[in-house]
Amino acid sequence: MSAGTVRDPGFPTERENYLTNSKGILSWMFTLDHKRIGVMYLIGVSISFALGGLLALAIRLHLMDPDGWMFRGADANNIYNQVFTLHGAIMVFLFIIPSIPGALGNFLVPVMLGAKDVAFPRLNLSSFYLWVFGAVFFVMALLSSGLDTGWTFYTPYSTTTDTSVIMATMGAFILGFSSIFTGLNFIVTINTMRPPGMTWFRMPLFLWATYATSIIQVLATPVLGITLLLLIAERTMQIGIFNPEFNGDPVTYQHFFWFYSHPAVYIMILPAFGIISEIISVHSHKHIFGYRFIAYSSIAIALLGFLVWGHHMFTAGMSSLTTIVFSALTFTVSIPSAIKVFNWLATMYKGSISLTSPMCYGISFIFLFTIGGLTGLHLGTLATDQHLHDTYFVVAHFHYVMVGGTLVAFLGGVFHWWPKLFGKMFNETGGRISAVLVFLGFNLTFLPQFVLGSRGMPRRYATYDPEFAFLHQMSTYGALLLGFGILVAFITLMHSLFRGKRAPANPWGGATLEWNCTSPPPFYNFERAPVVGDPYDFHDIEWQESDERYVTVQPERKLAPEADPSKSPAHASHKH
Amino acid sequence: MAMLPAAFSLLSDYTEDYAWFPDSASTFAADSDWLYYAITAVCIFFFIPISICLFYFAAKYRKAKGEKAESQVSHNTPIELLWSIGPSIFMVGMFVMGARAYLDMRTIPEGANEIGVQSSKWSWSMDYGRGTYHPELHLLVNEPVKLTMQSSDVIHSLYIPAFRAKKDVVPGRYNYMWFHPTKVTEKVSDEELANATKITEESATAWDYDKWQFTPDGYRFYDLYCAEYCGQDHSQMQTVVVVHETREDLDAWIKKYSSRGSDTLEAYGEKLYARRGCIGCHTTNGTSGTGPTYKDAFGTTRQLANGEKVTMDENYVRESILVPKAKVVAGFQPVMPSYKGQLSDDDLDSLVAYIKSLSANAETTSEADAEATPEENAE
Repeated sequence: MSAGTVRDPGFPTERENYLTNSKGILSWMFTLDHKRIGVMYLIGVSISFALGGLLALAIRLHLMDPDGWMFRGADANNIYNQVFTLHGAIMVFLFIIPSIPGALGNFLVPVMLGAKDVAFPRLNLSSFYLWVFGAVFFVMALLSSGLDTGWTFYTPYSTTTDTSVIMATMGAFILGFSSIFTGLNFIVTINTMRPPGMTWFRMPLFLWATYATSIIQVLATPVLGITLLLLIAERTMQIGIFNPEFNGDPVTYQHFFWFYSHPAVYIMILPAFGIISEIISVHSHKHIFGYRFIAYSSIAIALLGFLVWGHHMFTAGMSSLTTIVFSALTFTVSIPSAIKVFNWLATMYKGSISLTSPMCYGISFIFLFTIGGLTGLHLGTLATDQHLHDTYFVVAHFHYVMVGGTLVAFLGGVFHWWPKLFGKMFNETGGRISAVLVFLGFNLTFLPQFVLGSRGMPRRYATYDPEFAFLHQMSTYGALLLGFGILVAFITLMHSLFRGKRAPANPWGGATLEWNCTSPPPFYNFERAPVVGDPYDFHDIEWQESDERYVTVQPERKLAPEADPSKSPAHASHKH
Repeated sequence: MAMLPAAFSLLSDYTEDYAWFPDSASTFAADSDWLYYAITAVCIFFFIPISICLFYFAAKYRKAKGEKAESQVSHNTPIELLWSIGPSIFMVGMFVMGARAYLDMRTIPEGANEIGVQSSKWSWSMDYGRGTYHPELHLLVNEPVKLTMQSSDVIHSLYIPAFRAKKDVVPGRYNYMWFHPTKVTEKVSDEELANATKITEESATAWDYDKWQFTPDGYRFYDLYCAEYCGQDHSQMQTVVVVHETREDLDAWIKKYSSRGSDTLEAYGEKLYARRGCIGCHTTNGTSGTGPTYKDAFGTTRQLANGEKVTMDENYVRESILVPKAKVVAGFQPVMPSYKGQLSDDDLDSLVAYIKSLSANAETTSEADAEATPEENAE
């Protein structure tokens, strides 16, 4: 152990801990503390995820048999259509988009920045309640007459079906405001509340990713809001924007919708990139490789993501020129994503890797996201997309990005920051087993779907030709395994809350600011203003065997020599 | 894992459980598959080193807690530029190849045979000209064909996996696609066809394409799917593509369906019922589908959605086929597409005669009053 002063905040007391400093349900409901709001988001998105996940299992079970296994009777197809619509809508609007910014972002952005709270705490609370309100609309749509349009609400189907389209679009509209408020809050927080020393290039990459995400949230979401309002107007007043019966154009809706929803894909995946950058670096105990390239690539993805929406309509009948331009732009967005993968690998190279649960999820992410990204090339290439468009190949591709990417990163992030959130260590074996099960189950679910799609199996089919049965069955078994893996993760985390060891301030040996405060953090995050340095400099962090924790060791500072002209360096003296 | 070799075989047959691609039956297939394999090769070229590094690093650089990393190198600009620019070159290649092949798919050759396509929830109707409509798509080998497609309700998408061709059918505009079939679909033996026809007739069900894997005329086929989600029976919106070897064969097939011929009105009506998609929504056994059943319907009094009542007579049937949204029976959605312009008077008469033949009430049509059968009121 090197000589020096050990800096470690130790363990929090009852009073200085954000979870216990005030009590009662109202102290949570009206809290302005970003950490409590983050925890409430975490609970909310987890419930949504469980609901969406059960619907996914229902879909997969139905597809066990070519004629449909789960839902029977004359209404089987209708039920199936409602189930896949709700699965998509819940997962996208209630889980993937708000999960990382809402839960982890809210908790971590001010802490990692070294601030006491976000810029607008009340706006933050209201964004959570808007989320709840939007979710209520979704549940009401589910309980009234269902929704069967698919989560994209394509016209003219959505303007003619008799299910609760208005209720659901209102829900999405409200959720949009929640998303905008969160994004706005982060942008202002990061721009104005950085403490002394926290320059842009000393910000952890999670903050860069969150910042880039917030830009998309603020710029793109209003377009969705307007589109959904137009859709409602179209449905109720038949004003003829999208409906060809009144001289509207249904493809216009697709342009509007994807102008938001393609950037929204990056709302889902960019924060995941941020989490992985943290996990890989901390658990490799090595400086992140190519910090600036990763930071810039987040911004590049956010900006380029606005230019590629047309690739959702390669078969819709746009002009050839438009189609080709969109194809070219689509390829540009893959470069910054590739850069990140290479940088993470280079970070692991010659590191000191601990295969903790978060690291297992991190490795799993790189593997799965790489497959997701690479199969995007088949879809971005115009000629092959003609065959693969709207088949299971697309389903597999975006699940590799959204589930293999975002969900796995989210789980990794939850494991990574769980000790900080709740001050408890989880059982490492349970966490690692869950990571392996999720990895295997996920691949068994979605690898066969690439083959299904290549063979021409269209998506959103309630029944299918018998020659696809075997691959569908494999996929269903995979989904069950995946579900079991997530259950193991859930049990592991819940178990830790009751039986887990107390977490030290810095259980993994991270150098970002959140590891400088106690676990869980005090109400105002830091006891004293944190010292800001390079967030990936691991030189001063040492493992203390005796206490089983990482501490920051600062070398004993030698006092500067007394100001004695004769002893000052030559270059300083000749001034006089 | 015995199925793996078959799954990865390029030559596997479409009907095999583990084939990677469907048959290659159009000129687009070669381009599309070649590109697919080329892109996949590039993907593997990047993916294998990435995953080897990933797992190898994780194993090799695994250290005990507290051991310092061997290196803290934080960047290396030449390497970073190399791996930013390197992959871009592959991307440009993919884009250019993809765009060129795509332009071929978009450039419809002069003199292609033209077929009209009408799509509606949830059936296809191919227009062969001179009043011949049929849900099956019949083509001639080695001749380009152009489809002029329109939709009467929502967006559908015509997709033939064996041709690697897909195009959305958008209401309110014509969309076009073309392809050049290269492989004939064979004809099954007469015994096989006779056997299947007999079994189908005995069981009094519709022709089961999945079971027989050939059409009622004895042709093997390629699948044609709707690829854009269009509501309740999206997954049943399928039909088949038959590629004929000679023009005579194709013309004979078209002629067979061009008119009633020697059939009685009822018999031809029954064929039209199956052929023109009525069968998708209207049953003949008394159970309600998307639309009301035909069994014992003719001659009854129908309760309409707007509260009025109407007698189901010849005029009502005719109006309902041509202007389906005018008088919708209570309890059903106004989702039926119009068949205006697609059915001749003889066709309409045949359908009326067929529907009439299914009803025990048909003879008492004239002034049927409110005392209709209870189940009709229940609708």
